Amino acid sequence: MIKKLMLLFVVFCVSLYFGTVWAGDTIKIGFNAPLTGFAASDGKSSTFGAKLAVKQINEKGGVNGKMLELVVYDDQAKASQSIPISNKMIGQDKVVVGISGSYSGPTRSAAGIFQESNIPYISAYAIHPDITKAGDYVFRTSFLGEVQGRAGAKLIGDILGKKKVVMITLKNDFGKSLAAGFKEKAKDFGITIINEYEYSIKDRQFGAIVAKVKSDRPDAIYASGYYFTAGPLVSQLRASGITVPVIGQEGYDSQKFIEIAGKAAEGVIITTSLDRDSDVPETADFIKNFEALAGYKADMVAASAHTAVKVAALAIQKAKSTDPGKIRAAIAAISLKTATGTIEFNNLGEVLKDIQNQVVKNGEWHHHSVISDPTLLAPPEK
Amino acid sequence: MGLYEISLATGVGIYIILAVSLNMITGYCGQISLGHAAFYGIGAYTVALLSKIGWPIYLTLGAGFLAAGIIGTIVGLTSLRVREDFLAIVTMGVAFLFVGIVRQQEFLGGEMGISGIPSHGMSKLAYLGLVLFFAVLSILFSWYVKRSWMGFAFDAVADDEDTAKVLGLDVKAYKLTAFAMGTAMAGLAGGLYAYYTRFIIPDTFGFIESITILSMVAVGGIGSIFGVVFATILLVLMPEFFRFINDYKLLLYGVLLFSVMRFAPEGLSGFFKLLVRRKDG
Amino acid sequence: MLFIELFIQGLIQGSTYAIIAVGLTLIYGLLRVLHVAHAGLFTLGAYLGVVLTNQTGSLSLGILLAALISGIVGMAIYRLVYEPMLSKPPYVALIASIGLYIGMEEIFRLVFGPFGMSFSSAPLQDIVVFFGIHLRTCQIITVVTNVVLLGILAWIAQRTRIGTGWRATVDDPQMSACFGINPIKVRYMVFFTGSALAAVAGVMVALLTNIVEPTMGAVPSYKSLAIIVLGGLGNVFGTLIASLVLGILEAFGTIYIGDLLDRDAIAFAFLIIVLMIKPTGIFTSR
Repeated sequence: MIKKLMLLFVVFCVSLYFGTVWAGDTIKIGFNAPLTGFAASDGKSSTFGAKLAVKQINEKGGVNGKMLELVVYDDQAKASQSIPISNKMIGQDKVVVGISGSYSGPTRSAAGIFQESNIPYISAYAIHPDITKAGDYVFRTSFLGEVQGRAGAKLIGDILGKKKVVMITLKNDFGKSLAAGFKEKAKDFGITIINEYEYSIKDRQFGAIVAKVKSDRPDAIYASGYYFTAGPLVSQLRASGITVPVIGQEGYDSQKFIEIAGKAAEGVIITTSLDRDSDVPETADFIKNFEALAGYKADMVAASAHTAVKVAALAIQKAKSTDPGKIRAAIAAISLKTATGTIEFNNLGEVLKDIQNQVVKNGEWHHHSVISDPTLLAPPEK
Repeated sequence: MGLYEISLATGVGIYIILAVSLNMITGYCGQISLGHAAFYGIGAYTVALLSKIGWPIYLTLGAGFLAAGIIGTIVGLTSLRVREDFLAIVTMGVAFLFVGIVRQQEFLGGEMGISGIPSHGMSKLAYLGLVLFFAVLSILFSWYVKRSWMGFAFDAVADDEDTAKVLGLDVKAYKLTAFAMGTAMAGLAGGLYAYYTRFIIPDTFGFIESITILSMVAVGGIGSIFGVVFATILLVLMPEFFRFINDYKLLLYGVLLFSVMRFAPEGLSGFFKLLVRRKDG
Repeated sequence: MLFIELFIQGLIQGSTYAIIAVGLTLIYGLLRVLHVAHAGLFTLGAYLGVVLTNQTGSLSLGILLAALISGIVGMAIYRLVYEPMLSKPPYVALIASIGLYIGMEEIFRLVFGPFGMSFSSAPLQDIVVFFGIHLRTCQIITVVTNVVLLGILAWIAQRTRIGTGWRATVDDPQMSACFGINPIKVRYMVFFTGSALAAVAGVMVALLTNIVEPTMGAVPSYKSLAIIVLGGLGNVFGTLIASLVLGILEAFGTIYIGDLLDRDAIAFAFLIIVLMIKPTGIFTSR
């Protein structure tokens, strides 16, 4: 009896295994995102963003006469998961392009595999510099951490005119690369960094740092984090009586940040790529349709994933083929207006686009200013 | 064999080494280690750093093996001072300390980790062969130790430390040896992992990973080599088979862990023993 | 001035640890079980507290119900998970508890979503200023609650029949059974109390941070394990002191040795150093 059950189980597993291999007549785009684990919220958003793009493209007739199919895998934000996933996407699902809707760890490992197999890979929002260094098949549609950090320096020193800054840095590749970029350009804009404090991605109570920052008496605070750390941080900063401007980055870019921080969120300014008040049709369109599809307001990771899929789709269209080499060339030569700006790649696969600064007004994100300095925002060439 | 299958199998092979090595510490000597991943990490970082300055693979792997074993011995010395209940928590502390310290050191790559680890220079298939070679080696070594006089001593220590002492066994020495061997093997697994992913970050080697390895040993049946190997294969491949119920796979994992402990604490090895007995009886 | 502020922040943080750790140490003292799933009850309490407060508009009701429900769930966990495992080696209960915790985390994520939940209008956020230090009401309440609850607990343990019964059961279950104390009743009581306390801690943290996430129990649970060792397994007073000391160490450590060591690792570094010097912990077990 048990033997029969075990046999049945094995047959079941085998058929599942082969079941996933069967392909219809679609063009497959691979997508890895953290659907479970600590980063599940970003995985969910980025997946929605990607799915919206696919839906919109398919509604207009697909690409080269075929429908696009998004093959989504959960990498739990882990490199050890993204490796077999990438191999599966390439070897079994036969994706023509891979897109990462995930964090830097898994993206970095996956990029290496896609490069080796000569399949184009686009990182939607992971910021580790080494991702595009994997090779000419890897691209990134969002800002490098350093680039955004430099923009932050201009925002504080130049646009806001504040000179004495305290940095509160998230201890991971995102926070650290932002900090590096900020420090690089701080002097250029007359900024003195009084102190820098670091915190871990799991922290939600910042009592000690807040107390110390208060005693430092800065003119402005440059704090990196995600909505689930920035929300509590900003709230606690304000509650302790600190009134100076707080400047963040795209990690804050979500309605959840405002929900968590409540009134404390008012006046917070971030460097990001999604302008809520934009009259650029691509952006306004995306924001409206995302909320219709997902049921909640769009955030940066969703917009980035949307952008990446749009880029991939257009490239496949322009290449008029599913040959990865031709698609790669098409991506490299592309110029596309998306929800997060005009996408054009340099030799390394990095983009040069404007930074949208957004500010919280009356409980919502709104346009604050734009930074379009090509020298400042220039990504590395190699 | 496609790329996908090869990469899966390589991952399984590395985990087998990890689980078997932990089995030596926990299963043979009854010492619960919740910090095994730290030694996995020590091996990985050692190999990553040395390979980047040009050392060849056989030297780096050896270095990873030794580094983990040496630090394991030092940690093992602490385990001598505390007993059972404390040990679990102290080893948990080791897990956190490792990650906590590594992520602060720039020369270890800090948060960014170490990327661009050179290739092992072999084909993917050949590398799989190497990993499997080491996996089999660790299984054989475990089996040999179990069957030897050391194994008997370990058993005695696991069963009842005090009695073992009375019987003249140098309990401390055996515990330390088990620790040293287990952690060294974990270091080797770490080195193999570094060449496999070519990019390592501190978080990979934290407490959660330690628990993952421990659960492979527990589900397999602490002390049983065959059970542990089988459980490892099952637990590593499970996320692959269950991709279609993506959303629930961690839940399933938790339920599995819990159920095995609740209903079959001897683990899979106990389950198989039961099957065998049924057939005979 | 800064030092006083850091000290106060440390006390607040330590108080949240204490309320969680006390339950853990009581359970350990009784059953010799490392109840990792305790963290799940902490998270459950936080979710229930926020949901109920948002629904009913009353924080007190929210806390009360959260504590009650978590207490009952805690008792159920004892009955369904630990009771059947008491005769097995300790790692069995430990791993089962870990599996249970993972399961709970996932259920929270599936039910409440991964995004984190906040109060629709967070209570106790008014600011009190004294001597230039700004404190939110919830911060003060956290410390007060800690002191009051643990004080009550200590009083029960020392001065009441139930408390004496509990202490006796911890010291010698068989003997106390002879004296007519029902060990099973004591266990249920301990699980109820510990879990209810964890829930209260959860609501406190929700008030302090205004974000409740499925994974929020993980970090406090690890630290609590270190704390109960330091405080002496089963020793309520020791646990309280260890919690507060850890909170203060973290507050100063984050600022001054942040370059060297992660905040979360401080708890364990502290633990290991102490155990090197005194392998039985700061306080001895009860």
